[in-house]
Amino acid sequence: MPQVPIERERLDNGLRVILSEDRRTPIVGVNLWYDVGSRNEERGRTGFAHLFEHMMFQGSANVAKGEHFALIQAAGGTLNASTWTDRTNYFETLPSHELELALWLESDRMASLLPAMTQEKLDNQRDVVKNERRLSVDNQPYGTAEERMQALMWPEGHPYHHSTIGSMEDLSAASMDDVSRFFATYYAPNNAVLTVAGDFDRDAAMARIERHFGPIPANPTLPAPPSGDVPDSLGGEVREVVADQVELPRIHLAYRIPPFGTDAHEAFNILSDVLGTGRASRLYRSLVRERQLAADVAAFVFPWAHGSTALGIWATARPEVSVETLEAQLLAEIDQLSTDGPTDEELARVRTLHAAAVEAGLEQIGERADRISQYACLFDKPDMVNTEVARYDALTAADIRAALGDRISADNRLVLTYVPDEDQTEDGEAAA
Amino acid sequence: MSTPNALRPPATEPRPYHFPDFSHERLPNGLTVWTVPLSDRALVSVHLIVDGGAAAESEAEAGIASLAAETLVTGTRRLDGHAFAEATERLGIEMSADSSWDLARAGFLAVAGSFEAGLELLAEMIHEPRFDEGEFDRLRQERLADILQARSEPGRLADEYFLRQVYPDDVPYGRLGAGSPESVEPLTVAQARAHHQRHWRPDRAHLVVAGPVSATEARQTVASAFGHWEGESPGHRSIRAADRGGRRIVIVDRPGSVQSELRIGHVGIARGDADYFSAIVMASLLGGTFSSRLNQRLREDLGYTYGARAAFDPRRSAGPFSARAAVHTEVTADAVRETLAILDGLQAAPPSADELRGVTDFLVGIFPLRFETTAGAAAGIEPVAVYDLDRGWWATYRDRIEAVGPAEVHAAAQAHIRPADSLILLAGDAAAVRPSLEAANLGPVEVIRPADGMTDAEGAEG
Repeated sequence: MPQVPIERERLDNGLRVILSEDRRTPIVGVNLWYDVGSRNEERGRTGFAHLFEHMMFQGSANVAKGEHFALIQAAGGTLNASTWTDRTNYFETLPSHELELALWLESDRMASLLPAMTQEKLDNQRDVVKNERRLSVDNQPYGTAEERMQALMWPEGHPYHHSTIGSMEDLSAASMDDVSRFFATYYAPNNAVLTVAGDFDRDAAMARIERHFGPIPANPTLPAPPSGDVPDSLGGEVREVVADQVELPRIHLAYRIPPFGTDAHEAFNILSDVLGTGRASRLYRSLVRERQLAADVAAFVFPWAHGSTALGIWATARPEVSVETLEAQLLAEIDQLSTDGPTDEELARVRTLHAAAVEAGLEQIGERADRISQYACLFDKPDMVNTEVARYDALTAADIRAALGDRISADNRLVLTYVPDEDQTEDGEAAA
Repeated sequence: MSTPNALRPPATEPRPYHFPDFSHERLPNGLTVWTVPLSDRALVSVHLIVDGGAAAESEAEAGIASLAAETLVTGTRRLDGHAFAEATERLGIEMSADSSWDLARAGFLAVAGSFEAGLELLAEMIHEPRFDEGEFDRLRQERLADILQARSEPGRLADEYFLRQVYPDDVPYGRLGAGSPESVEPLTVAQARAHHQRHWRPDRAHLVVAGPVSATEARQTVASAFGHWEGESPGHRSIRAADRGGRRIVIVDRPGSVQSELRIGHVGIARGDADYFSAIVMASLLGGTFSSRLNQRLREDLGYTYGARAAFDPRRSAGPFSARAAVHTEVTADAVRETLAILDGLQAAPPSADELRGVTDFLVGIFPLRFETTAGAAAGIEPVAVYDLDRGWWATYRDRIEAVGPAEVHAAAQAHIRPADSLILLAGDAAAVRPSLEAANLGPVEVIRPADGMTDAEGAEG
C-alpha cells in the first residue's frame, strides 16, 4: 500500500505547510490550495473565482504580466491553476534547483497582487474566460450538462447551484472593485495550504518558505463559509430534455449523495467503480458489450466536500437505439446493484483497480502534491492521502448497502437527456 | 523595489540527471526486449510494439489496423471478452491496445507484483486472440458512432477536414488513421484476423519493460511468455506525403457556432528530417508554450481565444504542420490575419537570442519531468525502437536542442513554414464568418457543408 511521507508545519500567519520528500528524480512540486471556489461567489458574480484565478497570472508587485509563466517554463517547469466549487489551486512542477523561484512567484502574488491590476488586464482576461466558456460549454456537444445538473440538483442560492465557469452576463459585470475585495478577503495565508513534494532539503526548504511567505499578513476576519445544508434527497424525480447540436442522444443521471471525505461518500465511490470503471464493470458489460445499447458509459462521484455532492452516470445511445430503451436498461442495472449490493468478486476487482490507480497517481510528484493539498485544505488531514486505499478497502458489501440507504431511488434522481436538435439543423440548412 | 524579496531568487546547484539506463536484447525469434530497470519504483509499464499501424494497412481496408488492435482486448481462445476483462482487472490491470500511423501497440501498467501474470495475459492475447465476430462487429459499430460523434465536436471536425484538404486525395495521410465511415462500414472480422496474422509478428516487434525489474529477469520472463511466437511481417508501406499546396480558405460550415476552430498549415516534416531539432525548437517558439508568439498575441494581447498553439506531427513520412486556436466567431478574420502575420514574422527575421533562450531552456529543463514515471520512461524508449534512433538519442538530446541558434530557427522557418502556401481551414458558422474573410482578401474562400452528406458533398462554392 503506497505511503508517502507527510510533515506538517504552520507559519505564524496561519499558512499550513505540508512537506513530502521524495528524492528519486531531481524535480519538485509546489502546490497551493486556497479555500475559495465558486461556492463562495456572490449573487450576480458567478464565474468570478475562476476569472480571479486568471488575474493571478497577470503580474504582481515584482512580477510583470506573463512573467510567471515565462520564468517557470524557462526554468524547465510546468504550471497551471484551476478553480472548482470548493477551491482554487495553483501549481508548478520544476527541476528541484529552482524550488525557490516557484516559492517566490507564489508568495509575490499572495502578498501583493493588487498594485499590478489594471482595467485593461481585467478586460483581456474576461475575453479569454468567455472564450474558455465558449470552448468548453457553449460550443461543445453536451457541454452544458454539468451546469444544468448543478442548477437542477441544488436550489437557487445554494453554493453548488451555479457552474464554476459562470454566466456571460455575470462575467461582463465583474469589476476592478470585485478583484480588490476578493483578493483582500480570500487570498490570505490563513486561508491556504502550501504543499512542497519531491526533491528538496527539508531545512533549506522551510527557511525559504518562511522567508517568502512569513511576512504576509493573515486576514483576521475570514468570512464564515456559506452553508451547504440541503435535505438528503431531491424529494422527487427531476427530468429535463435538452435539444442540442449532438449526433447521438446521451442520458445523464445524477443522485444527491453525502459529501466527499465521509465513509458514506466512499460507498458511492465504490458503487460508481462497480458500475463504470473498467470493461468488466456492470454498465460496460450490460449496455456496451452484451445489449449494445450504448456507445460509451461513465460513472463517477464529484469530490465536493460541503453539505452534499452528486453521483453522476451517463450513457450515450448507439445509433438507432431509443433513449427510452437505453434509460430503462440503465436504471435497471443501477437499481439492481443498489438493491443486491456488489458481489465479493466485484469488490475484489474494484479494490485492486483502485489501489493501482492510487499508486499511479502518487507516482507523479505534481499529482501527489495536489492530493495532499486537497486533504489538508478540505479536512485539515493531509494524512488522508495515505489512507485512501484502506478507507476504500474497509467497506464491506453490507456497509455499502447500508450507506446507500434509499438514495438510489427515483425520488432522488435527476434524468437529463440530450437529444439531437432537429430544428437547429433545419434552420442551418434554410440559412445556407 | 528594495525589499529582499523583490528579485528573482537564484537557482541552487542542479543535481545531474540523465535518461534512465536501459538495455536491449534480440531474442532468437526477432523480438527485441528493451528494459529500463527502475529499482525504486512500485509500478511496471509494459509496451509491446509492432509495425502494424495504419501505414501497414491497405487503403481498401482503411481503419483495420486500429480495429484489429482494439479487438485484441475482447478475449482469447480460453476467455471470452468479459472473462478476459475480469482476469486482467482482478490484477489491477486495464489492458490496452491501439494503433497510430507508425505502430500498433498493446500493453499495461501494473503494480510490480502483477508483472508476470499481466505479461502472461498479454502473451495469451497476442498468441491466441479470440476475434469473435460479435465483438468485432460491436467495435466496428462503436467506431462508426465515434466518427459520427467527432463530427459534432468542432475541434475534431476541423482536424478531420484539415487533413482531407491539406493532402491530395491519393495520399493516405489525408484521412484519420482510424478510417472513414465508408472504409470502416464493410470491414469484417476475417480482415481483422488477417491483419493480426500478418503484422503482429515478432521479427519487427519490440517489447519494453520499465520498472523494478532487472534486464535478466525481464528477458527471462519475456522469453518464457513470447519465446514461441513466430513468423515474419511485411512491415509498412512507404507513403509519399505530397501537399495540395496553394493558399486557400475552407470553411466547414457548422451553423450556430459561437467559435471558429481554426487550423492554418500545410504538410510538415518527417521524423527523420535533418532539421528535426531546429524545427521542433522553432515550433515551440511559435506555439509550444504559454509564452509562445501565438498564445501571447491571440490570447494575452487580444483575448481572441482561450489558447493558441502550433506543432509539427512528424511521422515516417511528412505529417502535417498546423497552427490552431478556437476563436470567437466575431474575430475570426482578425485571428487569421494575426496568425499569418506571426508566421510571416518567423520567416522574415531570426528570433532574438533572449527569446530563443527561453524556449531552449524550457525544452532542456523539462527533460527530467518527461521521464518521471515508469510509463514516461517506457514511452521514451518507443521512438528509439520504432524509428531506430541512435541509442544515445536521449543522452545527446539536450545538447542538440541547445545547439539550435537563431540562425537555425530562421532557416527552419524558411524551409518548413509556408504562410503563402497555407491552407486556412475553420469549422464554424459560415454565414457569420464568410463576409469578413472574403473582405480580408487572404485567398479564395470555399464552403463545405457536412450536414448535406459527408462523402461527396464537398460542394465548394465561391
